[in-house]
Amino acid sequence: MTNVIDYVPGNTLLHRLNPVTKLGIATAIIVATFLAGTYPMLLGLLALTLLLGVYAGVFSRLVSLLKLLVPLAVIMLLLQTAFVRGGDVVFAWMTSEGLITGSKACLRLLGVALPLILMLTVTKLNDLANACVEVLHVPYRYAFTFTTALRFVPVFSQEMNAIVEAQTARGVEYDTKNPLRKLQLMLPLCVPLLVSSVGKTDATALAAEQRGFYLRTRQSSYKRYPMQARDKGVLLACVALVVAGVLL
Amino acid sequence: MSHSTAKAIIELKDVSFSYDTNEQTPALSHVSMRVNQGDFLGIIGPSGAGKSTLAAVMSGAIPHHYRGTLYGATMVEGKDTCEVTLTDISQVVGSVLQDIDTQMVASVVEDEMLFGLENFGVDHDQIPVRIRQTLETVGIADLRDREIATLSGGQKQKVAIAAILAMRPRVLVLDEPTAALDPASSRLVFDTLRQINRREGITVVVIEQKVALLCEYCNRVAVLNQGRLVLQGTPHEVFQHPDELRRIGVDSPRVARVYNSLVQKGIAPAGSPCLNVSEAASLIHDLVQKAGKKNIGAHDTDTTPDVVTKPEAAQAPSASDVRRFRAGSRHAVPARPHAEGAGPVVYLKDVCFAYPNGGATVDDLCMSVYPGEVVGIVGQNGAGKTTLTKLLNGLLRPSSGQVRIAGIDTKDVPTSRIAAHCATLFQNPDYQLCRDTVLDEVAFGLELHGTPTDQARQRAQVVIDRFGLPAKEAPFSLSRGQRQMVALASIVVMEPDVVLLDEPTSGLDYRECMTVMDTVSQMAQHGCAVIMVCHDMEVVSDFAERIVVMANGRILDRGQTDQTFAKQDLMRRASVAPPQIIQLSLELARTTSPDFAGISQVSGIVDLTQEMVCHD
Repeated sequence: MTNVIDYVPGNTLLHRLNPVTKLGIATAIIVATFLAGTYPMLLGLLALTLLLGVYAGVFSRLVSLLKLLVPLAVIMLLLQTAFVRGGDVVFAWMTSEGLITGSKACLRLLGVALPLILMLTVTKLNDLANACVEVLHVPYRYAFTFTTALRFVPVFSQEMNAIVEAQTARGVEYDTKNPLRKLQLMLPLCVPLLVSSVGKTDATALAAEQRGFYLRTRQSSYKRYPMQARDKGVLLACVALVVAGVLL
Repeated sequence: MSHSTAKAIIELKDVSFSYDTNEQTPALSHVSMRVNQGDFLGIIGPSGAGKSTLAAVMSGAIPHHYRGTLYGATMVEGKDTCEVTLTDISQVVGSVLQDIDTQMVASVVEDEMLFGLENFGVDHDQIPVRIRQTLETVGIADLRDREIATLSGGQKQKVAIAAILAMRPRVLVLDEPTAALDPASSRLVFDTLRQINRREGITVVVIEQKVALLCEYCNRVAVLNQGRLVLQGTPHEVFQHPDELRRIGVDSPRVARVYNSLVQKGIAPAGSPCLNVSEAASLIHDLVQKAGKKNIGAHDTDTTPDVVTKPEAAQAPSASDVRRFRAGSRHAVPARPHAEGAGPVVYLKDVCFAYPNGGATVDDLCMSVYPGEVVGIVGQNGAGKTTLTKLLNGLLRPSSGQVRIAGIDTKDVPTSRIAAHCATLFQNPDYQLCRDTVLDEVAFGLELHGTPTDQARQRAQVVIDRFGLPAKEAPFSLSRGQRQMVALASIVVMEPDVVLLDEPTSGLDYRECMTVMDTVSQMAQHGCAVIMVCHDMEVVSDFAERIVVMANGRILDRGQTDQTFAKQDLMRRASVAPPQIIQLSLELARTTSPDFAGISQVSGIVDLTQEMVCHD
């Protein structure tokens, strides 16, 4: 079963960059998205992300994520138009100002979520952790905690799937069309999921310790992650992107 | 090599441990044992016997990770585990956890191998060699660059073993490494362990429920019950005590049962029991031949060397006797005649299904199951068995073809309505349990289908009493076996038309397994159709009257259980190892007497042997 954040193998420049540089790209796009105020810039950043996705061959992943995010963005838009009042009434209750703030908020939501996912799909989690330790001098236990948490996402979603299937097979109406009813039925399942996740994290801690986790130092990693010229070039471009975000 | 003189690598001296001071019985009590260098030790016992706790003591997780009260001393390479750190212990004792998903730290096999090596500071020049050698030892050199998420269960298990092995521990402790695997992959994992044990001289300690595997691969077996070590020795020594093992709820291999019955009847000499098919076959062959020679000698007839089939000609049991042996006696599955004129309650016609994102498919599935039948579905992992069950209980809808359950076409109705007719017992009961008390849990299904609350609780109470479950306890506070019973009770109470069992016996000990299967048989007697997917062929041959053999998403063949298992070519194509007794009867039919053909039960083999040997 594939997951949105699973690594997609490839040999593009984006794959070969230092993981820290990739983190830099994602950060730059996100920061620029927050700072940017105009439609062209917001749309441009979104387009940049999608183009990078096409280049790295992970576009389908981004699309499947968009399918989740777009409904969320639409709900946000509707809420914004209800709260932000001002300007002329355009349609029903929506005012021009509300529509502008709302649509920008939507674009920002998409612009923030996509670069992170893009970066994760072209980076192996271990490389990310090791590079952060080597280049950014992040303590390994934090890097490990972060990557482990990400690694558990698919494990838990499988677990949740199995639980929902078992309950459906007993006759709980998860196949109901009413989303509120579905949510109401799902909530009690959080308890078994929590119980099993606490057990799993405990086992993970034990296994890591038994494999010498506490002996690990910054020099331990077998693979090295030097910053090369191309990394520096890309990072410079990232700075330029943030500056553009401030200006536009 | 005498056991007491060999060098001990792990030694437990009067070890007791309780997780909680209020516990009435400690998880381990007064266990003293030694694991010698080069041992292949199997640990077996019923659920809750303390097997995992024992493994934790050996690997240093007790006292360093789990809290509790510990008495006694554990020495690893002569050092007390309380006095050295867990990291130091784990350089000698590597352990593979039960849930390997929690052990994995990487997404690619090579990175998984690197983790331990990097941490323990192995010279970076040596790392590539180590990884290559370890992968070769485990036999997965071709998987080096694979994504772990894309591997099969058996491959994943081997990666987990390799990742630990790369650190060159001197002992490897594994907690139920084959629990999630089919029989063929289980054997491959044990082959790997044997290789590691023999070639690299690494001591292996393995907790395992599958007795036949333990007998074949281990040189020593330890039996735990209620935290105590009750038996230990070579497999031959341990399985000489069938009555004691049965009392504490540990299964014996079927061929050992044949042997023990023969000893009880005074036919075979007491001594060392047979533990595999070829031992049993040669024992019975010798017995029958010896008896034959005696008779021939007495009658002074010719003693040509081809006596192999001759003696039986003189003393062949009558045709009616043979039929009786074939039917077996105690455990044999009587062919339940379908209720007069009843139509099939499960009906599949030309069913195809493919998962939307590629992967497995099933094609052209056709089958009918009648009320009161128990049908087993066998095949390797990935053969499409689980997909079939999901098509039956409505979790999946066929992309073409028709599935009818109790007259309902699954295409037309929501899954929750099919559930009223077709109940599923899942492999992991924890996915099914969601209420606060056992009583609520068992009544829940009835309430979902519209039974008034008081009536539902009344019916639930009756079933709970029958199973002897604590009605007021929270299901999650019960043991694994009891949770499975709660899940089973909540199915029994529904009185469904069809019951689906997905690996009903995995994770259960022998006694719990029998309780589940006996309950299911009773349901079948009351007219419920039972379909079970099961890797334990012994259970299938004991309880199913028909089997359906699947491979690669298709049904290869179907038919009466014993006859279908006896089709050797079919079993090979489906990569299914037939039950031991069927292998034994095939072997005996070939070497000793054709009368053995078709016998599927222990008692049948024993009775026929008795007939042949004691015939005057």
